[in-house]
Amino acid sequence: MAGIRGLIVGLCALVLAGCATAPASPEALAANDPYEQTNRDMLKFNAKIDKYFVIPTVGLYFVLVPEGGRRSVHNFLGNLSLPTIFVNDMLQGEVSRAGKSMWRLVINSTYGLGGFFDPAAKIGIPGHGEDFGQTLAVWGVKEGPYLVLPFFGPSNPRDATGLVVDTAIDPTNQIHIKQHLWWAAGREYFTLLDLRAQTYQTVQGIQRNSVDYYSSLRNFYRQFRNEQIRNGHNQTQDLPDF
Amino acid sequence: MRTPKSPALTRRALLVSATLAAPLLAAGPAGAAANVAESFVDDNIHKGLDILRDKKLNLTQRRDQFETLLLGLVDVRRIALFTLGQYRRTAPPEDVEAFVNAFKNYATAAYQSYFSKYTNQNLKVTGSTQRTPTDFIVQTLLVDPNSSQPPAEVDFRVRTDAGKPVLVDVAYQGIWLSLEQRDQFVAFLGQNNGNVRTLIAHLSELAVNLAKPT
Repeated sequence: MAGIRGLIVGLCALVLAGCATAPASPEALAANDPYEQTNRDMLKFNAKIDKYFVIPTVGLYFVLVPEGGRRSVHNFLGNLSLPTIFVNDMLQGEVSRAGKSMWRLVINSTYGLGGFFDPAAKIGIPGHGEDFGQTLAVWGVKEGPYLVLPFFGPSNPRDATGLVVDTAIDPTNQIHIKQHLWWAAGREYFTLLDLRAQTYQTVQGIQRNSVDYYSSLRNFYRQFRNEQIRNGHNQTQDLPDF
Repeated sequence: MRTPKSPALTRRALLVSATLAAPLLAAGPAGAAANVAESFVDDNIHKGLDILRDKKLNLTQRRDQFETLLLGLVDVRRIALFTLGQYRRTAPPEDVEAFVNAFKNYATAAYQSYFSKYTNQNLKVTGSTQRTPTDFIVQTLLVDPNSSQPPAEVDFRVRTDAGKPVLVDVAYQGIWLSLEQRDQFVAFLGQNNGNVRTLIAHLSELAVNLAKPT
């Protein structure tokens, strides 16, 4: 799986390198988006994949799997991510959060029947996300130019690197079983399905309200990632004056 | 018989009193202003949600009442000028004025669309942060009684420099709406040779579409 993701990121870098000669507009440069035209084309490509492959499956998923089942799938996928979250908590020096991740893994893998249920949240240990892109940000690595990756969507070189590293350190990718590729592809597919099922209405709302969906998504991604990196701690002093 | 105090003692007493009173004096007006900002959000957002929840109102009545409330709370002009970015300085003044009007209609429709999704949820003010003496961020939690998900954090930016509190921005889970709108508008104008009239036409069309029931 690490190979598949690495290949996609590498392909994206090649596409960008090929298009780097197109001059960027002042607005694009101000928005830290020198590859805007390529990114817009990639968003259109992703939108087609979404429209013809993902959305029909999400519709089926809603029809065939009741809400409780979808929640269990979400919990199970979240539980699989906990070792990676734990490692990133530690790399960021967030020992208390790392402890919570470890407890969640132990409790949900046992009492939560392999992660399908989330008893840890019920006893006051709610989940949180961390990834290597955030770890790099905590270490002082700048985000780099905005990118739209094929299949994965909004990103930047820092987060794309994080994606590859997270896949490499994920313990489930170290277990070499005969059907590993099917397991990895299935997990990736259900992760996408779960994400899209959860964000379906939000994305529809953004599309409906937007003057320019592309730049709206770009801004949402940036603000959302900064919020994740700060772990929700408000930095109101950075806000612009009106 | 009154004993005259030595000047040094009086000075010391004054200094001690002033030192003790300083935090109170400093915290007093700021704390009061923060409370004003918090009450402003608490009272008015509930009023807005009540209007959107009211099943006795038809679509037009609901939209009109929400618009009246919103325009009384929100400094639409200030937000509109902010979202124009650098084009505010270069656009003809009459275009800027026309944009402010178009933005008002768009913002009303967009805010109504945002808030109507949360009518079954409860908003709870949890505190506030003071950026400057007249600029506050009021923190709230949006609690959905029917969901197992943790409550969503919604922040409101309130300015009090115009003599009364006004709302200038909203953030959902750390994402500020005005920043996102400014990025969109500036990108749109960049692709349309900075022509504000094109943006006005687009916003007007969007406002009409947003006002339609989904």
